[in-house]
Amino acid sequence: MTHLSLTNVSKHFGDFTAVRDFNLDVKKGEFVSFLGPSGCGKTTTLRMIAGFETPSTGSIAIESVDITNKAPNQRNVGMVFQAYALFPNMTVAQNIGFGLRVRKEKESDIKDRVAEMLAIINLEKKADSYPYQLSGGQMQRVALARALAIRPEVLLLDEPLSALDAKIRVALRAEIRAIQQKLGITAIYVTHDQEEALSLSDRIVVMREGEMDQVGTPFEIYNFPTTVFVANFVGTLNTANAEVVDPAKGLINMDGVQFASATDLKDRKKGDKVRVAIRPERFNFVSQEKKANIVDCTIENITFLGSIVRIQVKIGNTKFYMDTFNNPFLELPRIGAKDQVTCSREAVLVLND
Amino acid sequence: MNATTRVRKFPFWSLVWFILGVLYFALPLYATLDFSLRMERDVIGFKAYELAFADDEFLKTFGYSMLLAIATIIVSIIIIVPTAYWIRLRLPEARRIVEFITLLPFVIPAIILVFGLIRVYSSPVNIPFTEISLLQPLTNFKVGTNILIVAGYMVLGLPYMYRSVDTGMRTVDVRTLTEAAQSLGANWYTIIVRIILPNVRTALLSGALLTFAIVVGEVVLASFLGVPTFGPYLFLLGQHRAYEPAALTFTTFLLTWAAMGIIQLVTGGQGQTTGAH
Repeated sequence: MTHLSLTNVSKHFGDFTAVRDFNLDVKKGEFVSFLGPSGCGKTTTLRMIAGFETPSTGSIAIESVDITNKAPNQRNVGMVFQAYALFPNMTVAQNIGFGLRVRKEKESDIKDRVAEMLAIINLEKKADSYPYQLSGGQMQRVALARALAIRPEVLLLDEPLSALDAKIRVALRAEIRAIQQKLGITAIYVTHDQEEALSLSDRIVVMREGEMDQVGTPFEIYNFPTTVFVANFVGTLNTANAEVVDPAKGLINMDGVQFASATDLKDRKKGDKVRVAIRPERFNFVSQEKKANIVDCTIENITFLGSIVRIQVKIGNTKFYMDTFNNPFLELPRIGAKDQVTCSREAVLVLND
Repeated sequence: MNATTRVRKFPFWSLVWFILGVLYFALPLYATLDFSLRMERDVIGFKAYELAFADDEFLKTFGYSMLLAIATIIVSIIIIVPTAYWIRLRLPEARRIVEFITLLPFVIPAIILVFGLIRVYSSPVNIPFTEISLLQPLTNFKVGTNILIVAGYMVLGLPYMYRSVDTGMRTVDVRTLTEAAQSLGANWYTIIVRIILPNVRTALLSGALLTFAIVVGEVVLASFLGVPTFGPYLFLLGQHRAYEPAALTFTTFLLTWAAMGIIQLVTGGQGQTTGAH
C-alpha cells in the first residue's frame, strides 16, 4: 500500500524550474534514494516533502492525507540534515528529547524514549555531552536518533553522510539501513553518491534537470540503465555510437566491429544510429572465457585501482575500459599488445536519449 | 624543537599589539582611579568616594539610568532579535538596507535625534485631516518622556545591538537549526525562545553591555528631554568639582561590569557553544 505519494509535483523559482512533473509512490517501510548531480532537483523535492518548500503544482500525501499545504511542524516528518543541525545549547539527551517535549509528552515517556534511541545509536555514554564534544559521525547518529524519536511517518535524509570521511561514511550508512529496517520506517534519502544509493536503497530515483530519468531497484539501475544519463551517472561506463545492422538479431556495428546485443531493437530500422553502452566489468579476455561477442583489440593503457585493474583497449577506432579483478599471480597484458576480448549479448546495451 | 623554531613560534607582534591594547584601555582607567584617590593632599584615600556617595542625587540618577538601560535592552532585544533572525532566514536581500539603517546613529548626532523627537512628539497625535486628538504630546508627561528617551536610546544602541546579534546568528546555522526544530514540531515561539535566543546569548550579552554603557553615560538626550539621569548629573558635577566625578566615573565603570556579571549569572547555565557544524 502506498504510504507516501507525490503526484505531478513541480517547483518553479521565477523562470527556473527546479522540479518538473514528479510522480512517485513509496510503500511503507521502503527506502527510496533520490540520486543525481547537483542542481537536479533532488533536495528541492525532499524539502517539499518536509514542507520547507511549497510545490508550484501537484500534491503530496501521506497515508492518503494531503499534506501539500501543511506547515513543516504539522507533518510529523523527521529530517536529518547534512550539517547535523544539532542544537548547540542542548545535550545529546535534550536534543533527542526535543521533539517529544515540543509535543508535551510525559517526562517519564520522554526519558524512556531517549534511552531507547540512545541504545539504538550506541551512544548511551554520551547522553550528557554537548554537540561540540562529539565527532562528526556521533553527531549524525544523534541527529538520526532525534529525527526518529518522534516516530515520524517518513524519515527524510538530506545527504547526511557528505560531511564525513570515507570509512565513517561506509560504517554509518550500514547503520542507517539497519536502523531503518529494524524500525520499518519509510525513508527518503538524497545523495549524489551512487555507491551510497546502490548500497542503501530498495529503489532509486535517478534525477536530471528536475525530472525523473529512471526509477528502479539498484540492480535495475546499475545493470539496465535506460538512458545515456543514467548509464553515465551510475558506475563507469563505455559508451559509443553505433548503427543498427539487423534489428531482429540485435546486431549493431561499431566502427566496423559487429556486436550482438540482447536489447530489444524491434522499434529500430536497419541503418538507425544508436548509442551503445558496455560496463567495463562485462568485458573479459577470450583466453579466460568465451561469450557471444569476440572482438580484436589493442591494449592501450593499464591503471591499477587496488582490487581492480582497469585496462583501456582499442576496439576498431573506439577506446573502451575493461575491469578485471586484481590477481597478483596472473600476468597483465603488455601495452600495445594485440588481444581478443569477449562480452555477452546482455552486456551490450542500446540506450534511449 | 630547536631555539630558532622557538623564536619563530613566539608570537612577538601579537604580544606587542595585546600590550598596546591593554595600555590603551587600562591607562585612562588607572589615571582616573589614581586621580580619584588623591583628593586629600599627600594622602591616598577614598574621600572623593565618600563625598560622591553621600550625595542622594548620585544613587537616584544612577538608579534611574539603570532602569532606563534595562528597559532599552529589553525593547532592543524584542525588536532586534526577531528582525535579525528574519533577515537571516527569509530576507537576506534586505540585509544591506538594514545594515545601512543601523549605521545611521553613527552619522546622525544625538542632538539631531533629540530635536527630531521633540519636534515630532511635542505636538498631539491627531487623526489625519481632523482636529481629534488621539494622544497628548509625549513630551508633556513623564511616562511619555520616558518612552521617548528609551526609543532614543534604542536608536543610539542600535548599531551595537544589531551587529552583536547578527554576528551571533552568523556563528550558528540559523536556517538549518530552524528547519530542524520545525521538522520536530516546534512553532516560531519555541524556535526563538528555546533555540535561537540561547545560542546567541553571548552576543546578546555583549550588545546589552554596550547599550548599558551608552545609556548610563548619555548626556544629550537626557538633558534636552529633561530626564534626571546619571549622565547630566555627572556632567554638572564635573562643572564644579574635580575629584568626585573621577570617583563616580570609576565607580560607574565597576557597576556597569557588575551589572553585566549579574545578568550573566541570572541567565546562567551553559555558555554559548559552537554552532552547528
